[in-house]
Amino acid sequence: MAEGFDIDHLAKLARLSLTAAEKALYSSQLNQILGHFQALAEADLPSTIDDARIVNEAALRSDEPGPVLGAEAVTRIAPASRDGQISVPRVVDDES
Amino acid sequence: MADALHTLSAAELGRRIAAGTLTSRALCEAFIVRYKTINDKVGAFTHLDEADVLAQADASDARRKAGQGRGPLEGIPVAIKDNIAVKGQPLTCSSKMLASLISPYDSHVAERLRAAGAILYGRLNMDEFAMGSSTENSAIRKTFNPWDLARIPGGSSGGSAAALAAGLVPLSLGSDTGGSIRQPASHCGVVGLKPTYGLISRFGLVAFASSLDQIGPMARSIEDCELLLNALASADARDMTCFGPSDRALTPAGDAKKLRIGIPKGFLGKGVAPEVAAAVNAAIEFYRSQGCAISEVELPSADLAVPTYYVVATAEASSNLGRYDGVRYGHRSATAGTPVEMMTASRSEGFGPEVKRRILLGTFVLSAGYADAYYVRALRARAKIRAEYLAALAGVDVLLTPTVPTPAFKVGEKASDPLQLYLEDIFTIPANLAGLPAISVPCGKSGHLPVGFHLVGAPLSEAKLLAAGRLFEAAHGYAHQQAAL
Repeated sequence: MAEGFDIDHLAKLARLSLTAAEKALYSSQLNQILGHFQALAEADLPSTIDDARIVNEAALRSDEPGPVLGAEAVTRIAPASRDGQISVPRVVDDES
Repeated sequence: MADALHTLSAAELGRRIAAGTLTSRALCEAFIVRYKTINDKVGAFTHLDEADVLAQADASDARRKAGQGRGPLEGIPVAIKDNIAVKGQPLTCSSKMLASLISPYDSHVAERLRAAGAILYGRLNMDEFAMGSSTENSAIRKTFNPWDLARIPGGSSGGSAAALAAGLVPLSLGSDTGGSIRQPASHCGVVGLKPTYGLISRFGLVAFASSLDQIGPMARSIEDCELLLNALASADARDMTCFGPSDRALTPAGDAKKLRIGIPKGFLGKGVAPEVAAAVNAAIEFYRSQGCAISEVELPSADLAVPTYYVVATAEASSNLGRYDGVRYGHRSATAGTPVEMMTASRSEGFGPEVKRRILLGTFVLSAGYADAYYVRALRARAKIRAEYLAALAGVDVLLTPTVPTPAFKVGEKASDPLQLYLEDIFTIPANLAGLPAISVPCGKSGHLPVGFHLVGAPLSEAKLLAAGRLFEAAHGYAHQQAAL
């Protein structure tokens, strides 16, 4: 079941940067863990999934504005902010 | 007298406060003194704001004097696992990622505790983002088992259990995704209850695996555990998986001496330490002697529980932890670069090894080409496990097993073998997969180390679990036990 395991691809998908030592360690540990998951591949399972936690639409609350934290509380916990807004690295280059 | 306050139950402390023979300030001051002398040995707490605690205590005393006491928890300190939001207090999840985060809001359970007059008392250590079974994955500090400081307290709610066993607080909150309340409760000789999925709101609980996570009460006795459960359980529209007001009534406890107790076939065999098996068998014989009907039940898919759990939990975790990108809150890397480079660096610096391992595993089981083989099959296995548990519980009231196969292991003993650590939760995981209530009750010792048994019941059967625990507790000496420190 674990064929095609590619630690570089996984790290990219997970937005994690791993050292060579971490790649070797996690590859080995994940292969071991996935080997333990083999029981799932071999089991005789029902065709349906557990839907006990699929949310009933009746449980959804009405789509109306409620209390919010507000800009002051939100920017206070942000890593960086300016003029009441969260600042981030530049996403779009200036047009030239 | 003040020295002995830490040995009393929350219920007794509440009675003294209500009677006016004890003030919340005197109680909190006594616990703060104890915190200062013992916490460094045990490492249960990561934070305690003394001034805030005493201000809450004074407000509580003023309420009581004005005849406005709010009930049995008025003035009683309740310590809180560091993944449950309390406004104005740290919310670190024992992670570098959230090391400087102060919660801007209260969780539903924090609101409930305030409404009950309780004192929100400090932050408890845990495995980072609740991922672990030993509290060794905390990025903040180590927590040690009060019964043997060379051993782990269990996890991920290790701080919650150790604080109780060390007499640092009378009540605590934990969270349980695969056993994180019950396993440390067993290792530390205290009571820990994971409620039915949906009984307690998850609003303000930092998400690990949302379909499995539940907040629950921890205490040194069944009575105290029930007191805390009653304060926490209420409807909350902010968690749409939380039961509404009309569908949350608990099944009546009935006569505990007439309980039908199922023993899952094979659960007391391979892998269970002889002392653990002996203590659990003695508990079974006790219930038989009280008139309970004991029978063996079949749970044929039990072996699938651990792989199913680690697929479902890591899949959900990899999604839930996607929010930690260094943008809105949490750690942001000082490394300059593009937004994606900033996010990648922030996550790589902020998360510890076990969290990275689980994110990678969860990313894999959800990735294109593998999701059907792993995630979808795990959901099908989960349906099978749930169906088998519900079928078994149609014929008996509760299922009884050990909580953990072995007593607390030594610090560092399993740190390099994640799979061995995952197997710690073999008896507790099915209740999360099936959404069922479960409790760990202290039932003996292996040498000097506590052992607990585990009861699982049908949805909303918490009163039956507590009644069964109370029957055992009343005939044995394990309620209110504390380690000598």
